[in-house]
Amino acid sequence: MSDQSPPPLRVANLSKSYRLPGGGAFEAVHDVSFEVTAKQCFGLLGPNGAGKSTTIQCICGFYPPTTGNVFISGIDVHTKPKQARQGLGVCNQEDTLDSDFNVTNQLIRHAAYFYIDRHTARDRAQKLLERFGLTDKATQMIESLSGGLRRRLQVARALISEPKVLVLDEPTTGLDPDARRELWEVLTEAREKGTAILLSTHYMDEAERLCDRIAIIYKGRILDIDSPERLIKKHIARDEVEEEVRPGVLWKRKPNLEDVYLKLTGSRLGVEGL
Amino acid sequence: MSDWLWGVSRVWLRYYDVFTKSVVFYVVTTFVQPVLYLLAFGVGVGALVGILNANGTPVTYRSFVFSGVIGQTALFSGFFEGAYGAFVRMYYQRVFQAIAITPITLSEVLWGELLWDATKAAVAAEGVALIGVLTGDFSPWSLLTLVPVCFFGSFLFAGMGLMSAAYARDIDQLSYPQYLLVMPMFLFCGVFYPIEALPQALQVVAWVFPLTAVNSLVRTLTLGLPFQWWAVPILFAWLTLLVVLSRRAMFRRLVK
Ligand SMILES: Nc1ncnc2c1ncn2[C@@H]1O[C@H](COP(=O)(O)OP(=O)(O)OP(=O)(O)O)[C@@H](O)[C@H]1O
Ligand SMILES: [Mg+2]
Repeated sequence: MSDQSPPPLRVANLSKSYRLPGGGAFEAVHDVSFEVTAKQCFGLLGPNGAGKSTTIQCICGFYPPTTGNVFISGIDVHTKPKQARQGLGVCNQEDTLDSDFNVTNQLIRHAAYFYIDRHTARDRAQKLLERFGLTDKATQMIESLSGGLRRRLQVARALISEPKVLVLDEPTTGLDPDARRELWEVLTEAREKGTAILLSTHYMDEAERLCDRIAIIYKGRILDIDSPERLIKKHIARDEVEEEVRPGVLWKRKPNLEDVYLKLTGSRLGVEGL
Repeated sequence: MSDWLWGVSRVWLRYYDVFTKSVVFYVVTTFVQPVLYLLAFGVGVGALVGILNANGTPVTYRSFVFSGVIGQTALFSGFFEGAYGAFVRMYYQRVFQAIAITPITLSEVLWGELLWDATKAAVAAEGVALIGVLTGDFSPWSLLTLVPVCFFGSFLFAGMGLMSAAYARDIDQLSYPQYLLVMPMFLFCGVFYPIEALPQALQVVAWVFPLTAVNSLVRTLTLGLPFQWWAVPILFAWLTLLVVLSRRAMFRRLVK
């Protein structure tokens, strides 16, 4: 029987149209619905311009949905943003770090927006900085951080409120392989503690490895939602695919999520058996 | 209400935190200009003009300019913080966007922005008034009675700045309101001479712009010039209009 308590994140028939300067509208997201339960990692996989960030902006309650609703622990984020967002941690696609503060104060200040007292915030900040390999930068200003370090800090900032729902828009873009793995571990730890995670990504290995469920989104519509394994089984008929990687060089390999993605979002020439 | 106050105060405190790290910068950038005006016009030109007939009351030119620089400081400080400061925070730093996805709403962020800009500019204007008290031009009491005028005047000019920031496509475009609105007010709204010296038609135009009302009220409180009651509705009409419009424009710009 189903659990009575509402899921950490529920997106219900979400559509979003942008007003265009000419007076028309452009529908970036159409009728998207999904749920993320506790301890689950849910992936939004889609090409550039698919509508991932738009969906995420609506989940944050920053953009109002044109139709549909977003519920965080059962609270509508659009009508009750203050209550709903108490349980939400977000890492946006673009850099939104506050460059007026140094690395540690950045986190402490952000915690203050969540009713978290300074003392608790300082403790958490220290642990997060350690976890993300930023301890030696603790008193530096943001300008002196490299792109990847900023990205790590922004993910760390999303975790400072110990959110029930963690939303990450392309969190690993710009990270080196080490940092990426480190982040995967952090996310795995967070979900073990019960956090529901929504992330968007372009990396197939990341999605396949981290996500229990994946929504393939294309031109604002969800083409399919399922576990990575089931998606591969469902959409790729064969056990083996052949690809001409260089003229005259054929590779035979097991089908992967990328094949599903490419099959659903467009066609790639040269891969046999899709 | 208490939730709202909590949210707005968090935003205000963020600004205050940043501010405390650059007090020297603030003091230099805020007070050097008024002090230069005070010296150049108050003391320099003041020696030539001597006593002035301001709206029927004789006052020294020095006192006249000292009181004018109070409103001018509210204008410059409020406008520049609301325009350039807010533009940088909104466009380059994305501070608004980062805070407005926490339990604090964009509405509260914008109130915090306006209130901070107003506070900062009002303190600067009061600082100028303090100089006038120290030089013996105004009575110490005027520091107290000036608080509402300085605050609401600064609030109004911050709204003018924030509205400019909301409409500016890039930071250079802030020069439009700066040259078309701020500079004309600076020169024609009675900072350096009584607007009664202007031709009748220009006087009417000058009264449309809010700095004239601010200057009039400041001079009633500091120099005892006759109270021009219509300055009060003019000030509050502009204040309401600019606060409402600047917030609406910012929402339009950020919330798609
Ligand atoms: N403010 C806007 N006004 C009009 N159209 C917009 C606006 N923001 C995004 N779009 C359009 O909406 C569509 C979805 O954009 P979105 O940013 O959600 O894509 P995305 O999946 O996050 O892409 P990426 O992988 O490049 O980040 C795109 O066609 C984009 O051009
Ligand atoms: Mg995106």
